[in-house]
Amino acid sequence: MRHRLSFLILVALLVLAGCHRQDTVITSLAMLKGGKTFAVPTGTVADQFVLKKVPDAKIKYFNSALDCAIALKTGKVDMIGAGLSITEERAKKVLFSESYYPSGIAVLVKAGSVIPQQGGEMLRTIDDIKDKRIGVFLGSIHDAYAAKYYPQATILEYQSVADMLIALTTEKIDVAFYDDAALPDVLHSNKSVAIMAKNVFFASVAAGFKKNNDTLRQQFNAFLQEIIVNGIYNDMISRWMERGLTDMPEIKSSGKNGPLKVGVVNDIGLPSAIYKNGRVVGFDIELGERFAAYTGRVYIPVNTQFSSMLAAVSAGKIDMITSFMMITEERAKQIDFSDPYYASGASVIALKKNIAGFREEGEGMKKVSFLRKLSNSFYDNIILERRYMLILNGLKVTVIITVLAALLGTILGGLVCLLRMSKSAFWSATAAAFITLIRGTPVLVLLMIIFYIIFASVNINPVLVAVIAFGINFGAYVSEMFRTSIESIDKGQREAGIAGGFTKVQTFIHIIMPQALRTVLPVYKGEFISLMKMTSIVGYIAVQDLTKAGDIIRSRTFDAFFPLIMAAVIYLALAWLLTWGLGKVEISVDPKRKRIRKAVEVRL
Amino acid sequence: MISVRHLSKHFGDLVVLSDINADIREGEVITIIGPSGTGKSTFLRCLNLLETPTGGSIVIDGVPLLDKKTDVPKLRQKMGMVFQSFNLYAHLTVLENLTTGPVKLLSKSKAEAGQKAMELLKLVGLAEKAYSFPDELSGGQKQRVAIARCMAMDPEILLFDEPTSALDPTMVSEVLAVIRRLAKEGITMIIVTHEMEFARNISNRVFYMDEGVIYEEGSPQQIFGNPQREKTRAFIHRIRSFHHHIASRDYDLYALQAAIEAFCDKHMLLKKTKDHVVHIAEEVLGLQLTFNDVNLYLHYSEKDGTVEMVCDSAGSAVNPLEEGALSDDIALRLIRARTEKAEYRYKNGRNVLTLKMKGE
Repeated sequence: MRHRLSFLILVALLVLAGCHRQDTVITSLAMLKGGKTFAVPTGTVADQFVLKKVPDAKIKYFNSALDCAIALKTGKVDMIGAGLSITEERAKKVLFSESYYPSGIAVLVKAGSVIPQQGGEMLRTIDDIKDKRIGVFLGSIHDAYAAKYYPQATILEYQSVADMLIALTTEKIDVAFYDDAALPDVLHSNKSVAIMAKNVFFASVAAGFKKNNDTLRQQFNAFLQEIIVNGIYNDMISRWMERGLTDMPEIKSSGKNGPLKVGVVNDIGLPSAIYKNGRVVGFDIELGERFAAYTGRVYIPVNTQFSSMLAAVSAGKIDMITSFMMITEERAKQIDFSDPYYASGASVIALKKNIAGFREEGEGMKKVSFLRKLSNSFYDNIILERRYMLILNGLKVTVIITVLAALLGTILGGLVCLLRMSKSAFWSATAAAFITLIRGTPVLVLLMIIFYIIFASVNINPVLVAVIAFGINFGAYVSEMFRTSIESIDKGQREAGIAGGFTKVQTFIHIIMPQALRTVLPVYKGEFISLMKMTSIVGYIAVQDLTKAGDIIRSRTFDAFFPLIMAAVIYLALAWLLTWGLGKVEISVDPKRKRIRKAVEVRL
Repeated sequence: MISVRHLSKHFGDLVVLSDINADIREGEVITIIGPSGTGKSTFLRCLNLLETPTGGSIVIDGVPLLDKKTDVPKLRQKMGMVFQSFNLYAHLTVLENLTTGPVKLLSKSKAEAGQKAMELLKLVGLAEKAYSFPDELSGGQKQRVAIARCMAMDPEILLFDEPTSALDPTMVSEVLAVIRRLAKEGITMIIVTHEMEFARNISNRVFYMDEGVIYEEGSPQQIFGNPQREKTRAFIHRIRSFHHHIASRDYDLYALQAAIEAFCDKHMLLKKTKDHVVHIAEEVLGLQLTFNDVNLYLHYSEKDGTVEMVCDSAGSAVNPLEEGALSDDIALRLIRARTEKAEYRYKNGRNVLTLKMKGE
């Protein structure tokens, strides 16, 4: 299977100090002499290596590297050789021995299918990617890795895995880094993609916690140990990682200790989390649910952008993260990690046709008619796993945010307009400053400021945050519209109203407003529609609106066409509906139309 | 009914009204006349607090208008105001313009208000325009609707702020006719206007405003027929004036003559008149004994076309009109020949000679 030692990493003995790393320092294999126990995962070469060096060592075989680590931590063994790579970050947490085995990374192409080819564009070895376009998941460990080891490459960061895969299949990027554990799912749905280099490096996956939230973190560590000991962990690994099953077991929690909000990325893909039949399932979801049950709390998954996960947990929006997050030095500065619960390999994928010597096997490449493809695509994207429910729910959220934000914004806009037109220089200047400030800030930034800074420590529904942010933005814009339309009504009519005995407020309501309404409606209509379209960014604070629903489907099907076109069509329909509705209002405030009605009355 | 005491209004440093005092009785029709920019409109707008006075007091029907406790909107319901620019409610039909006040403020039923509105529209001759919108009416029609709108509120006082100034000359009469008709119904009216004939015919009293005060007031006969004060007279007779001051014997006669000619040309006097004026000015100055402080005035009345020359000079009393008082009788004869009337007065140490030119 190994063709070439392309990338040398040092596989080392991991020595995990039982309690404090200062206490037990075992840095040499020689220390195993004297009947010490050595733990290794089955199927590695570490055992033979150790036995060669220390013949009297006792070897214990565990199912996974993590099991070994847990065993070490609980004192069941003295040393482990778990096939973990020495990384800078890990060296800070645990002590590594000298390297004991140089390990090669396999390029995943089938044996015997290598046909030496000329032509420099083909990808042969991992070295070939050094000047290519590499896709990574924004904020992931791959991102940092690619930047560090392939400085000449163009690194493109994607907000979602689906985007990255679509970029790969449409050749916007040449290769992509991807979690090895998640690859079977991806390769299954994308026949044109194959692994080009498997397990380029390893990284530990752990749960993340807010700094100094040791209680919860230690609870999690204890929980982890428990499920490893009682075999649940192995079962989970087997189901999610090895057999690729996607069925969630029923997990009951007493729920008496309140909610447990866990940050997840709903559409990150298997094995971590995916959408299936309208609910989120995955290894991380099951882990979270089990932990919630273990602590007697109610599991609440909070869908969060991966890139804003750290901010969310630091701000207390969520209690913890289980989203296949790998431990890095940088992240460890901001949050605390639990013990690792998985060692994930990072593989490099590319289009089959770009991998040197990869022979098409003909599977799934049958000629299909365009209509057939379209109907298949429709079925996969809309019908399968009741995905239309996602779209409907997303539509509902979009409509709720739009309507409430418009309502709030209109009221706020009226108030700001009132202040802006007030005789008091102070209030007028305050309102003007507010308008300048809000109009000069991108609404996305405003949205995130409100979510991550203003309501950082408040438990608030993100939909409400979206309503507030868009309401404020809408208010700033419409207040100026209100003002100009009010000022467009000649002052004489206001004076006539006041001289006629109306109070200022009555004059405004009966005389100015009906006329201002007529001039403001056409521009207001435009702003309303643009508000509706603007709400498509709420995915940034993990609100599942229409756009996000499309994203989620895209992440499952890796098909850009239907989810995007569907979203576009629904937005268009909404915009048309709004235009039509406000157009009705517009006509109803047109006095000329009223006269026709009056004239009819007279004739009657 | 309306009593105004020491009313003043400043816009920043500009004093528009300095000290207005007036009493207006119920049923009186008052017209306010005066040159532009003398605060006529401002005074009117102070009466219903569209402008907040800087100082003084206004009492209407015994209610102090400037008291904080006074319900000003309630008071305004009894005081209609007609504006120069009509100010009809653009989004309402003519009928609704009339009914909105009574329905919203006087809690009248729509039917009742509508019926009354139709009567008023008939009164102003616009019943057939009831369902039109303001932008479909002519200026005169708009103003008549505006007047009817005020009447719909059953006001006790009507304020007119130059109601015909924005109108085409052909439409002025239709509006004035409506106002005349209302005047007969016993509503107290205060009208700011530039229509002198109208003011003369309609009002019980005329206020002439100038210098930020009511400069002169009286019956129309008095104000228009025999105004007592100089500025009133100048205004009523639409007098245009010219003034030249001489401070030494070596004055520039030719420059003065050129200035007089320019004045005459500006007001389009006949060439003959112009020549006479220039000539007589020279002769009058020839009669002067000293030239230390001489004022020469010309007053031309646009109304009756007369030209008056006044020359006053400091010095001891010498009447140049007396035969033999001066050596040069030819000058005197020339003057007498070309003037209708010549008068001499000695006042405050100055010799004042007033000459009225002969008309054409």
